[in-house]
Amino acid sequence: MLSHLILGASSSLYLGDMLFIAISFIILMALIAKVAWNPVTKMMGDRADKIANDIDSAKKSRQEATDLAEQRREALSHSRSEASDIVAEAKQSGEKQRTTIVADAQNEATQYKQNARKDIEQERQDALKNVQSDVADISVQIASKIIKKQLDPEGQQALINSYIEGLGKHES
Amino acid sequence: MGDPVPTVKFLGLTFNIANDISILLTCIIVFLFVFLLSRHLALKPKGGQNVLEWLIEFTNGIVKGSIKGNDASRFGLYAFTLFLFIFVANQLGLFLHIQVGQYTYVKSPTADPIVTLTLSFMTVALAHAAGVQKKGLKGYLKDYTSPFLVFLPINIFEQFTDFLTLGLRLFGNIFAGEMLLSKVATLATDSGSWFSYVYSFPIEFLWQGFSVFIGSVQAFVFVTLTSVYISQKVSPEE
Repeated sequence: MLSHLILGASSSLYLGDMLFIAISFIILMALIAKVAWNPVTKMMGDRADKIANDIDSAKKSRQEATDLAEQRREALSHSRSEASDIVAEAKQSGEKQRTTIVADAQNEATQYKQNARKDIEQERQDALKNVQSDVADISVQIASKIIKKQLDPEGQQALINSYIEGLGKHES
Repeated sequence: MGDPVPTVKFLGLTFNIANDISILLTCIIVFLFVFLLSRHLALKPKGGQNVLEWLIEFTNGIVKGSIKGNDASRFGLYAFTLFLFIFVANQLGLFLHIQVGQYTYVKSPTADPIVTLTLSFMTVALAHAAGVQKKGLKGYLKDYTSPFLVFLPINIFEQFTDFLTLGLRLFGNIFAGEMLLSKVATLATDSGSWFSYVYSFPIEFLWQGFSVFIGSVQAFVFVTLTSVYISQKVSPEE
Protein backbone atom coordinates (compact mmCIF):
# COMPACT_ATOMS: atom_id res chain seq x y z
CA MET A 1 0.00 0.00 0.00
CA LEU A 2 2.88 2.30 0.70
CA SER A 3 4.47 1.57 -2.65
CA HIS A 4 3.23 4.93 -3.90
CA LEU A 5 5.52 6.55 -1.38
CA ILE A 6 8.75 5.44 -2.95
CA LEU A 7 10.17 8.72 -4.12
CA GLY A 8 11.72 7.22 -7.23
CA ALA A 9 8.37 6.08 -8.51
CA SER A 10 7.29 9.62 -9.21
CA SER A 11 4.49 8.51 -11.48
CA SER A 12 2.66 7.07 -8.49
CA LEU A 13 3.25 10.09 -6.29
CA TYR A 14 -0.15 11.67 -6.02
CA LEU A 15 0.74 15.19 -7.00
CA GLY A 16 -2.93 15.85 -7.53
CA ASP A 17 -3.63 15.01 -3.90
CA MET A 18 -0.98 17.37 -2.70
CA LEU A 19 -2.44 20.18 -4.73
CA PHE A 20 -5.92 19.25 -3.61
CA ILE A 21 -4.94 19.32 0.06
CA ALA A 22 -3.03 22.54 -0.26
CA ILE A 23 -5.78 24.32 -2.15
CA SER A 24 -8.62 23.05 0.01
CA PHE A 25 -6.65 23.95 3.11
CA ILE A 26 -6.03 27.46 1.84
CA ILE A 27 -9.72 27.83 0.91
CA LEU A 28 -10.69 26.56 4.36
CA MET A 29 -8.31 29.04 5.94
CA ALA A 30 -9.73 31.91 3.88
CA LEU A 31 -13.29 30.95 4.77
CA ILE A 32 -12.46 30.66 8.46
CA ALA A 33 -10.72 34.01 8.31
CA LYS A 34 -13.78 35.61 6.78
CA VAL A 35 -16.45 33.87 8.83
CA ALA A 36 -14.89 33.52 12.23
CA TRP A 37 -11.29 34.54 12.71
CA ASN A 38 -11.47 38.20 11.77
CA PRO A 39 -14.75 39.01 13.53
CA VAL A 40 -13.86 37.04 16.64
CA THR A 41 -10.35 38.41 17.01
CA LYS A 42 -11.73 41.90 16.36
CA MET A 43 -14.29 41.30 19.06
CA MET A 44 -11.59 40.08 21.40
CA GLY A 45 -9.50 43.14 20.66
CA ASP A 46 -12.51 45.38 21.23
CA ARG A 47 -13.14 43.68 24.52
CA ALA A 48 -9.55 44.12 25.61
CA ASP A 49 -9.80 47.82 24.71
CA LYS A 50 -13.09 48.17 26.55
CA ILE A 51 -11.69 46.53 29.66
CA ALA A 52 -8.65 48.78 29.55
CA ASN A 53 -10.90 51.81 29.13
CA ASP A 54 -13.13 50.66 31.95
CA ILE A 55 -10.15 50.28 34.23
CA ASP A 56 -8.95 53.75 33.32
CA SER A 57 -12.35 55.34 33.83
CA ALA A 58 -12.80 53.48 37.10
CA LYS A 59 -9.50 54.88 38.27
CA LYS A 60 -10.62 58.34 37.21
CA SER A 61 -13.97 58.07 38.95
CA ARG A 62 -12.28 56.89 42.12
CA GLN A 63 -9.97 59.89 41.95
CA GLU A 64 -12.98 62.13 41.47
CA ALA A 65 -14.75 60.54 44.39
CA THR A 66 -11.71 61.05 46.59
CA ASP A 67 -11.52 64.68 45.52
CA LEU A 68 -15.19 65.19 46.26
CA ALA A 69 -14.86 63.61 49.67
CA GLU A 70 -11.88 65.84 50.39
CA GLN A 71 -13.88 68.89 49.32
CA ARG A 72 -16.80 67.86 51.44
CA ARG A 73 -14.61 67.33 54.46
CA GLU A 74 -13.11 70.76 53.93
CA ALA A 75 -16.53 72.34 53.56
CA LEU A 76 -17.73 70.55 56.65
CA SER A 77 -14.87 71.78 58.80
CA HIS A 78 -15.33 75.24 57.31
CA SER A 79 -19.02 75.29 58.11
CA ARG A 80 -18.31 73.97 61.60
CA SER A 81 -15.98 76.85 62.35
CA GLU A 82 -18.47 79.22 60.79
CA ALA A 83 -21.20 77.83 63.00
CA SER A 84 -19.08 78.25 66.10
CA ASP A 85 -18.33 81.82 64.99
CA ILE A 86 -22.03 82.49 64.61
CA VAL A 87 -22.75 81.04 68.01
CA ALA A 88 -20.00 83.10 69.60
CA GLU A 89 -21.25 86.22 67.89
CA ALA A 90 -24.79 85.53 69.00
CA LYS A 91 -23.62 84.96 72.53
CA GLN A 92 -21.71 88.21 72.47
CA SER A 93 -24.60 90.20 71.07
CA GLY A 94 -26.93 88.58 73.56
CA GLU A 95 -24.60 89.57 76.36
CA LYS A 96 -24.48 93.10 75.06
CA GLN A 97 -28.23 93.26 74.75
CA ARG A 98 -28.60 91.92 78.26
CA THR A 99 -26.28 94.59 79.59
CA THR A 100 -28.20 97.29 77.76
CA ILE A 101 -31.53 96.01 78.96
CA VAL A 102 -30.32 95.79 82.52
CA ALA A 103 -28.82 99.26 82.34
CA ASP A 104 -32.02 100.65 80.83
CA ALA A 105 -34.07 98.97 83.48
CA GLN A 106 -31.82 100.36 86.16
CA ASN A 107 -32.06 103.84 84.72
CA GLU A 108 -35.78 103.58 84.45
CA ALA A 109 -36.06 102.31 87.96
CA THR A 110 -33.93 105.16 89.22
CA GLN A 111 -36.04 107.61 87.29
CA TYR A 112 -39.23 106.11 88.66
CA LYS A 113 -37.80 106.27 92.13
CA GLN A 114 -36.83 109.88 91.65
CA ASN A 115 -40.23 110.73 90.22
CA ALA A 116 -41.88 108.97 93.08
CA ARG A 117 -39.74 110.79 95.58
CA LYS A 118 -40.51 114.10 93.87
CA ASP A 119 -44.20 113.32 93.87
CA ILE A 120 -44.09 112.39 97.49
CA GLU A 121 -42.32 115.60 98.31
CA GLN A 122 -44.88 117.49 96.29
CA GLU A 123 -47.69 115.73 98.07
CA ARG A 124 -46.11 116.45 101.36
CA GLN A 125 -45.67 120.12 100.49
CA ASP A 126 -49.26 120.31 99.32
CA ALA A 127 -50.47 118.57 102.41
CA LEU A 128 -48.39 120.85 104.55
CA LYS A 129 -49.73 123.84 102.74
CA ASN A 130 -53.29 122.63 103.22
CA VAL A 131 -52.64 121.84 106.79
CA GLN A 132 -51.12 125.26 107.21
CA SER A 133 -54.17 126.99 105.86
CA ASP A 134 -56.53 124.68 107.75
CA VAL A 135 -54.62 125.14 110.94
CA ALA A 136 -54.70 128.86 110.39
CA ASP A 137 -58.44 128.78 109.82
CA ILE A 138 -59.10 126.46 112.73
CA SER A 139 -56.81 128.47 114.99
CA VAL A 140 -58.55 131.59 114.01
CA GLN A 141 -61.94 129.97 114.57
CA ILE A 142 -60.81 128.57 117.91
CA ALA A 143 -59.30 131.85 118.86
CA SER A 144 -62.41 133.72 117.79
CA LYS A 145 -64.50 131.26 119.72
CA ILE A 146 -62.24 131.42 122.76
CA ILE A 147 -61.72 135.05 122.74
CA LYS A 148 -65.28 135.60 121.52
CA LYS A 149 -63.93 138.41 119.80
CA GLN A 150 -64.11 138.96 116.12
CA LEU A 151 -60.67 138.75 114.84
CA ASP A 152 -59.85 139.91 111.43
CA PRO A 153 -58.44 136.79 109.63
CA GLU A 154 -56.55 138.91 107.14
CA GLY A 155 -55.06 141.14 109.84
CA GLN A 156 -53.76 138.21 111.88
CA GLN A 157 -52.54 136.06 108.92
CA ALA A 158 -48.94 137.20 109.10
CA LEU A 159 -48.71 136.40 112.78
CA ILE A 160 -50.20 132.95 112.40
CA ASN A 161 -48.03 132.08 109.39
CA SER A 162 -44.93 133.01 111.29
CA TYR A 163 -46.06 130.86 114.15
CA ILE A 164 -46.82 127.78 112.00
CA GLU A 165 -43.58 128.14 110.11
CA GLY A 166 -41.81 128.17 113.41
CA LEU A 167 -43.78 125.02 114.29
CA GLY A 168 -42.80 123.24 110.97
CA LYS A 169 -39.15 124.06 111.41
CA HIS A 170 -39.22 122.86 114.88
CA GLU A 171 -40.78 119.59 113.72
CA SER A 172 -38.39 118.89 110.87
CA MET B 1 -5.71 -0.61 5.17
CA GLY B 2 -3.45 -2.21 2.73
CA ASP B 3 -6.40 -1.99 0.36
CA PRO B 4 -6.05 -0.77 -3.18
CA VAL B 5 -6.82 2.91 -3.56
CA PRO B 6 -9.13 4.46 -6.12
CA THR B 7 -7.17 6.79 -8.34
CA VAL B 8 -7.97 8.91 -11.33
CA LYS B 9 -5.69 10.75 -13.67
CA PHE B 10 -6.66 14.29 -14.52
CA LEU B 11 -4.55 16.82 -16.37
CA GLY B 12 -1.60 14.51 -15.95
CA LEU B 13 -1.97 14.55 -12.18
CA THR B 14 -2.85 11.51 -10.14
CA PHE B 15 -5.66 11.89 -7.63
CA ASN B 16 -6.54 9.53 -4.83
CA ILE B 17 -10.31 9.89 -4.69
CA ALA B 18 -10.55 8.44 -1.17
CA ASN B 19 -8.14 11.04 0.20
CA ASP B 20 -9.85 13.86 -1.59
CA ILE B 21 -13.28 12.93 -0.33
CA SER B 22 -11.99 12.62 3.22
CA ILE B 23 -10.20 15.96 3.00
CA LEU B 24 -13.27 17.62 1.61
CA LEU B 25 -15.38 16.13 4.38
CA THR B 26 -12.87 17.30 6.99
CA CYS B 27 -12.89 20.79 5.54
CA ILE B 28 -16.68 20.87 5.54
CA ILE B 29 -16.88 19.67 9.15
CA VAL B 30 -14.30 22.21 10.30
CA PHE B 31 -16.00 25.01 8.43
CA LEU B 32 -19.46 24.14 9.73
CA PHE B 33 -18.11 23.86 13.27
CA VAL B 34 -16.48 27.28 13.09
CA PHE B 35 -19.36 28.79 11.17
CA LEU B 36 -22.00 27.67 13.65
CA LEU B 37 -19.95 28.78 16.63
CA SER B 38 -19.30 32.22 15.20
CA ARG B 39 -22.95 33.24 14.84
CA HIS B 40 -24.27 36.01 17.11
CA LEU B 41 -20.93 37.52 18.04
CA ALA B 42 -21.15 39.90 20.96
CA LEU B 43 -18.83 41.90 23.13
CA LYS B 44 -20.04 39.86 26.05
CA PRO B 45 -19.56 36.33 24.73
CA LYS B 46 -21.80 33.40 25.43
CA GLY B 47 -22.20 29.83 24.30
CA GLY B 48 -20.53 29.11 20.98
CA GLN B 49 -18.47 32.26 20.98
CA ASN B 50 -16.90 31.23 24.28
CA VAL B 51 -15.88 27.87 22.82
CA LEU B 52 -14.47 29.52 19.72
CA GLU B 53 -12.56 32.11 21.73
CA TRP B 54 -11.21 29.42 23.99
CA LEU B 55 -9.94 27.53 20.93
CA ILE B 56 -8.41 30.70 19.49
CA GLU B 57 -6.74 31.48 22.80
CA PHE B 58 -5.48 27.90 22.91
CA THR B 59 -3.84 27.93 19.47
CA ASN B 60 -2.62 31.49 19.99
CA GLY B 61 -1.05 30.27 23.21
CA ILE B 62 0.79 27.53 21.32
CA VAL B 63 2.05 30.03 18.75
CA LYS B 64 3.07 32.61 21.34
CA GLY B 65 4.85 29.90 23.27
CA SER B 66 7.56 29.74 20.64
CA ILE B 67 7.26 32.82 18.41
CA LYS B 68 8.15 35.98 20.25
CA GLY B 69 6.94 39.49 19.69
CA ASN B 70 4.60 40.81 17.05
CA ASP B 71 5.28 37.98 14.61
CA ALA B 72 3.08 35.64 16.61
CA SER B 73 -0.20 37.32 15.65
CA ARG B 74 0.49 36.77 11.93
CA PHE B 75 0.52 33.02 12.30
CA GLY B 76 -2.48 32.73 14.60
CA LEU B 77 -4.95 31.99 11.81
CA TYR B 78 -2.69 29.36 10.24
CA ALA B 79 -2.19 27.61 13.58
CA PHE B 80 -5.91 27.75 14.36
CA THR B 81 -6.94 26.29 11.00
CA LEU B 82 -4.16 23.71 11.11
CA PHE B 83 -5.12 22.55 14.57
CA LEU B 84 -8.82 22.19 13.77
CA PHE B 85 -8.10 20.51 10.45
CA ILE B 86 -5.68 17.94 11.85
CA PHE B 87 -7.84 17.33 14.90
CA VAL B 88 -10.96 16.65 12.86
CA ALA B 89 -8.98 14.66 10.28
CA ASN B 90 -7.51 12.47 13.02
CA GLN B 91 -10.90 11.75 14.57
CA LEU B 92 -12.76 11.30 11.29
CA GLY B 93 -11.51 7.77 10.64
CA LEU B 94 -12.23 6.67 14.18
CA PHE B 95 -15.97 6.66 13.72
CA LEU B 96 -16.40 6.82 10.00
CA HIS B 97 -15.13 4.29 7.50
CA ILE B 98 -17.18 4.15 4.34
CA GLN B 99 -16.24 1.29 2.11
CA VAL B 100 -17.77 0.89 -1.33
CA GLY B 101 -16.69 -2.22 -3.18
CA GLN B 102 -12.99 -2.72 -2.63
CA TYR B 103 -12.23 0.92 -1.90
CA THR B 104 -12.47 2.78 1.40
CA TYR B 105 -13.75 6.22 0.49
CA VAL B 106 -13.96 7.93 3.85
CA LYS B 107 -11.25 7.54 6.50
CA SER B 108 -8.78 9.73 8.34
CA PRO B 109 -7.01 11.69 5.63
CA THR B 110 -4.04 12.02 7.99
CA ALA B 111 -3.56 8.25 7.85
CA ASP B 112 -2.06 8.80 4.40
CA PRO B 113 1.54 10.06 4.29
CA ILE B 114 0.81 12.15 1.22
CA VAL B 115 -1.60 14.26 3.23
CA THR B 116 0.59 14.66 6.30
CA LEU B 117 3.69 15.36 4.25
CA THR B 118 1.79 17.98 2.29
CA LEU B 119 0.71 19.66 5.52
CA SER B 120 4.27 19.47 6.78
CA PHE B 121 5.52 20.85 3.47
CA MET B 122 3.12 23.79 3.78
CA THR B 123 4.40 24.51 7.25
CA VAL B 124 8.04 24.35 6.22
CA ALA B 125 7.37 26.48 3.15
CA LEU B 126 5.57 29.04 5.28
CA ALA B 127 8.46 29.05 7.75
CA HIS B 128 11.02 29.64 5.01
CA ALA B 129 8.90 32.31 3.36
CA ALA B 130 8.43 34.08 6.69
CA GLY B 131 12.18 33.85 7.28
CA VAL B 132 12.99 35.45 3.94
CA GLN B 133 10.34 38.11 4.47
CA LYS B 134 11.60 38.92 7.93
CA LYS B 135 15.36 38.89 7.41
CA GLY B 136 15.74 39.38 3.69
CA LEU B 137 17.32 36.78 1.47
CA LYS B 138 20.82 37.52 2.75
CA GLY B 139 19.95 37.19 6.39
CA TYR B 140 17.94 34.08 5.64
CA LEU B 141 20.86 32.40 3.90
CA LYS B 142 23.25 33.54 6.58
CA ASP B 143 21.30 31.53 9.13
CA TYR B 144 22.46 28.34 7.46
CA THR B 145 26.04 29.04 8.44
CA SER B 146 25.26 29.69 12.05
CA PRO B 147 26.88 29.29 14.44
CA PHE B 148 29.73 28.86 11.92
CA LEU B 149 30.38 27.61 8.42
CA VAL B 150 31.02 24.00 9.41
CA PHE B 151 27.37 23.64 10.32
CA LEU B 152 26.21 24.37 6.77
CA PRO B 153 25.58 20.74 5.73
CA ILE B 154 23.98 19.93 9.04
CA ASN B 155 21.68 22.93 8.78
CA ILE B 156 20.66 22.03 5.24
CA PHE B 157 20.10 18.43 6.24
CA GLU B 158 18.00 19.60 9.18
CA GLN B 159 15.51 21.26 6.84
CA PHE B 160 14.69 17.89 5.32
CA THR B 161 14.57 16.01 8.59
CA ASP B 162 12.24 18.66 10.03
CA PHE B 163 9.96 18.30 7.07
CA LEU B 164 9.97 14.50 7.11
CA THR B 165 9.65 13.97 10.86
CA LEU B 166 6.81 16.49 11.13
CA GLY B 167 4.77 14.73 8.47
CA LEU B 168 5.67 11.15 9.26
CA ARG B 169 5.08 11.48 12.99
CA LEU B 170 1.48 12.44 12.39
CA PHE B 171 1.03 9.82 9.70
CA GLY B 172 2.55 7.07 11.85
CA ASN B 173 0.36 7.75 14.84
CA ILE B 174 -2.90 7.99 12.96
CA PHE B 175 -2.10 5.20 10.50
CA ALA B 176 -1.21 2.83 13.36
CA GLY B 177 -4.39 3.74 15.20
CA GLU B 178 -6.59 3.11 12.20
CA MET B 179 -4.74 -0.07 11.30
CA LEU B 180 -5.31 -1.51 14.74
CA LEU B 181 -8.95 -0.45 14.70
CA SER B 182 -9.58 -2.26 11.44
CA LYS B 183 -7.65 -5.29 12.66
CA VAL B 184 -9.84 -5.48 15.74
CA ALA B 185 -12.91 -5.08 13.53
CA THR B 186 -11.66 -7.90 11.32
CA LEU B 187 -11.09 -10.00 14.41
CA ALA B 188 -14.75 -9.55 15.33
CA THR B 189 -16.20 -10.28 11.91
CA ASP B 190 -13.88 -12.92 10.54
CA SER B 191 -14.07 -15.63 13.15
CA GLY B 192 -17.66 -16.34 12.20
CA SER B 193 -18.75 -16.80 15.78
CA TRP B 194 -20.95 -14.33 17.65
CA PHE B 195 -18.64 -14.68 20.64
CA SER B 196 -15.86 -12.75 18.91
CA TYR B 197 -18.08 -9.68 18.96
CA VAL B 198 -18.30 -9.92 22.73
CA TYR B 199 -14.60 -9.66 23.42
CA SER B 200 -13.64 -7.47 20.49
CA PHE B 201 -16.17 -4.78 21.33
CA PRO B 202 -14.42 -3.59 24.52
CA ILE B 203 -11.04 -3.77 22.78
CA GLU B 204 -12.31 -1.66 19.90
CA PHE B 205 -13.97 0.68 22.36
CA LEU B 206 -10.79 1.13 24.41
CA TRP B 207 -8.61 1.61 21.37
CA GLN B 208 -10.99 4.18 19.92
CA GLY B 209 -10.81 6.14 23.13
CA PHE B 210 -7.05 5.95 23.11
CA SER B 211 -6.97 7.01 19.47
CA VAL B 212 -9.06 10.06 20.23
CA PHE B 213 -6.44 10.97 22.80
CA ILE B 214 -3.59 10.31 20.38
CA GLY B 215 -5.32 12.28 17.64
CA SER B 216 -5.73 15.30 19.93
CA VAL B 217 -2.14 15.11 21.14
CA GLN B 218 -0.83 14.80 17.59
CA ALA B 219 -2.81 17.83 16.46
CA PHE B 220 -1.33 19.76 19.37
CA VAL B 221 2.18 18.47 18.64
CA PHE B 222 1.91 19.33 14.95
CA VAL B 223 0.86 22.90 15.67
CA THR B 224 3.50 23.28 18.38
CA LEU B 225 6.27 22.07 16.05
CA THR B 226 4.92 24.28 13.28
CA SER B 227 5.31 27.34 15.46
CA VAL B 228 8.74 26.15 16.61
CA TYR B 229 9.94 25.81 13.01
CA ILE B 230 8.52 29.20 12.11
CA SER B 231 10.15 30.78 15.14
CA GLN B 232 13.49 29.25 14.17
CA LYS B 233 13.23 31.04 10.85
CA VAL B 234 11.95 34.41 12.03
CA SER B 235 13.71 34.77 15.37
CA PRO B 236 16.70 37.11 15.34
CA GLU B 237 20.14 35.54 15.60
CA GLU B 238 21.49 35.10 19.04
